[in-house]
Amino acid sequence: MQLSLNEDQTQVLDFVDSLTRPYAAVPMHDTSFALTSDALDGALMDNGFLDVMAVEELGPVTAALVVERLARLPFAVEAAVSSLVRPLVDPELPRPVCVVEESALRKPVRFLKPRASVIVVGPSGVRSFTASEAQVRSAGEEVLYAYPMAYLTDMPADARRHDVSAGEVRRALRVAMAAEAAGLLAGALASVTTYVSERQQFGRPLATFQAMRHRLAEAQVLTNGVYWLALRAAGTGDSGDAAMALLHAQEAAKKVGYDYHQFLGAMGMTLEHPLHLWTYRLKALTSELGGRGANALAAAEAIWG
Amino acid sequence: MDFHWTEEQAAFRQKLDDFLRAELPDGWEEFSKHGPASPALTEFARQFCRRLAEGGMLFPHWPKEIGGEGLGPWEQQILAEVMWEWGEPRGGQYMNVNWIGPTLVRYGTEAQKARYLPQIASGEMLWCQGFSEPNSGSDLASLRTRAVLEGDHYRVNGQKIWTSYAGLADTCFLLTRTSDDRKRGITILLVPMDTPGITVRQIPSLIGEGDIHEVFFDDVLVPATQRFGEEGQAWEIIGFLLTNERLGIPRYHLARAALDRAVAMLKQAGDFADAMVRAEAARCAALCEAARTANYAIVQKRVDGLPVGGESSSARFATVMAERDVCAFIVEHVPEALAGASAYLQMHHQRGVVAGIAAGAAEIQLNIIASDVLQLPREPR
Repeated sequence: MQLSLNEDQTQVLDFVDSLTRPYAAVPMHDTSFALTSDALDGALMDNGFLDVMAVEELGPVTAALVVERLARLPFAVEAAVSSLVRPLVDPELPRPVCVVEESALRKPVRFLKPRASVIVVGPSGVRSFTASEAQVRSAGEEVLYAYPMAYLTDMPADARRHDVSAGEVRRALRVAMAAEAAGLLAGALASVTTYVSERQQFGRPLATFQAMRHRLAEAQVLTNGVYWLALRAAGTGDSGDAAMALLHAQEAAKKVGYDYHQFLGAMGMTLEHPLHLWTYRLKALTSELGGRGANALAAAEAIWG
Repeated sequence: MDFHWTEEQAAFRQKLDDFLRAELPDGWEEFSKHGPASPALTEFARQFCRRLAEGGMLFPHWPKEIGGEGLGPWEQQILAEVMWEWGEPRGGQYMNVNWIGPTLVRYGTEAQKARYLPQIASGEMLWCQGFSEPNSGSDLASLRTRAVLEGDHYRVNGQKIWTSYAGLADTCFLLTRTSDDRKRGITILLVPMDTPGITVRQIPSLIGEGDIHEVFFDDVLVPATQRFGEEGQAWEIIGFLLTNERLGIPRYHLARAALDRAVAMLKQAGDFADAMVRAEAARCAALCEAARTANYAIVQKRVDGLPVGGESSSARFATVMAERDVCAFIVEHVPEALAGASAYLQMHHQRGVVAGIAAGAAEIQLNIIASDVLQLPREPR
């Protein structure tokens, strides 16, 4: 057991931090529902930060650490699937990479756009294809989820088949989603604690009221738990660990999402405060892989049969 | 990062497990339902800890100069997990192993070390902690049990409460007030429990026979040589002992074992097919494992020699969350467990309900997280 960052991991995260520093805050007067940056995306790719899993001395835990760190940014980056799932299917798949469940085509797909790679998981195995213009229907400009999203209208009959099992892809996807959720939870918590530490009412900061302190402290405990479960799941490669990590992440997202906006009062209803960028991404992740119920059942199956 | 145990660590756990399996008597589970502080378990522990000591398994993580094997914090955690999972056959002596020994080495006089360390090392000594008072629980520094120096003795008057093991302990690690300075007016005395003027009353409890007590001190005369550290040094010493006892008992580990046991009972009864039950069990398992990893992150800090702050309160609260839901799961789905059908699950329940109370109430842990981890501005006092 060795849970501190090794030198390589520290170095990678330091690089990620310095590269993303210009993206640590929302640009002035930006009030978009989703915030993305092609320049950030390109810089991450060029520097190989989305390909660390294949590097022997780095591996899946480092990939999960990078995904977690990037998710703390107000900018949405398609990092999780590219970093942790794509290497199992085909490391050369062009980004962004989306994963859809065969049975859940009615759901909006994060990062889907024409020319995106789509990995389809279902009873018939794992397939992939490059989305065409005709296969993508926009979800409109006002999607609340703070990710670029679209609908997949159709799947080609001749999608490429892959040898990897659907179970293995789901395991990796759970790790990826849990790692992203861990970063989103951390970003949202930091955003809220900053606000309530500065905002004064009754002559003192809101954060000095125990009613709020205790709820934020409980949120910290959950956030910390998701972080460690996600990293452990990445490290062990165990299906039960992966399902528990995503289950715990989705539980945490459900518990904090509503409260955080409430703690900000009316400011929590605006697009002028960036909180929604983390909380609404978390909401999008609560439906991944069937949501809490399905992930709980997957965990139970893996643990107890 | 590596989330796997090393071969040595896995072998160490196996060795402990094998030892307990071989050495614990038939009917141990039924027997362990007696609380760790019960007369029966205390008596058993005096024999059993001697055997552990002989096998080098009582304090393997202690430095070699005080008789340990010099193993590290991971081995300490593994030891604690295995013992607690088996119902803590060391009884109250786990305290000696975790913090009393190291604290004695650091702050004790030569005479105190010579008197107590051999008894601790041989597994025969039981202590109790005279900390809480009727009006000083979470606010420990407000304690009022008074010790007045009269020549070469302290005269002690006051009352302690919730004192575990008081009925059978040899010596009390007693916090007393020697001046009115809130924190620097507290002094530790090591008080033999058979000193005249000490009265112990057991408080009937939900958590097992003999576990909690009131202790009254009426004109108890304690030799000044039994003072531990300097006058007014208690708060510093408590800070030190907490670094050795920061994580406390690995309750998440027993919670997970109890959950697995409950699921096994449900499966045997053919009642583990229901999706709601399965999902709820998985949610409990995730809470246990979240608590485990949060605790392990603290162990790693100790391995690395880094200071441990409020994040240990976060790990503790994670454990409370796990215990709360595992206890509830068992009551809801295996109700017979608390009505005679499973000694093990009853043992877990009676220990599990203590998680948010003992060694610092859960709400105090939340206060610490808010101030130290989240760095929120403090509440006005």
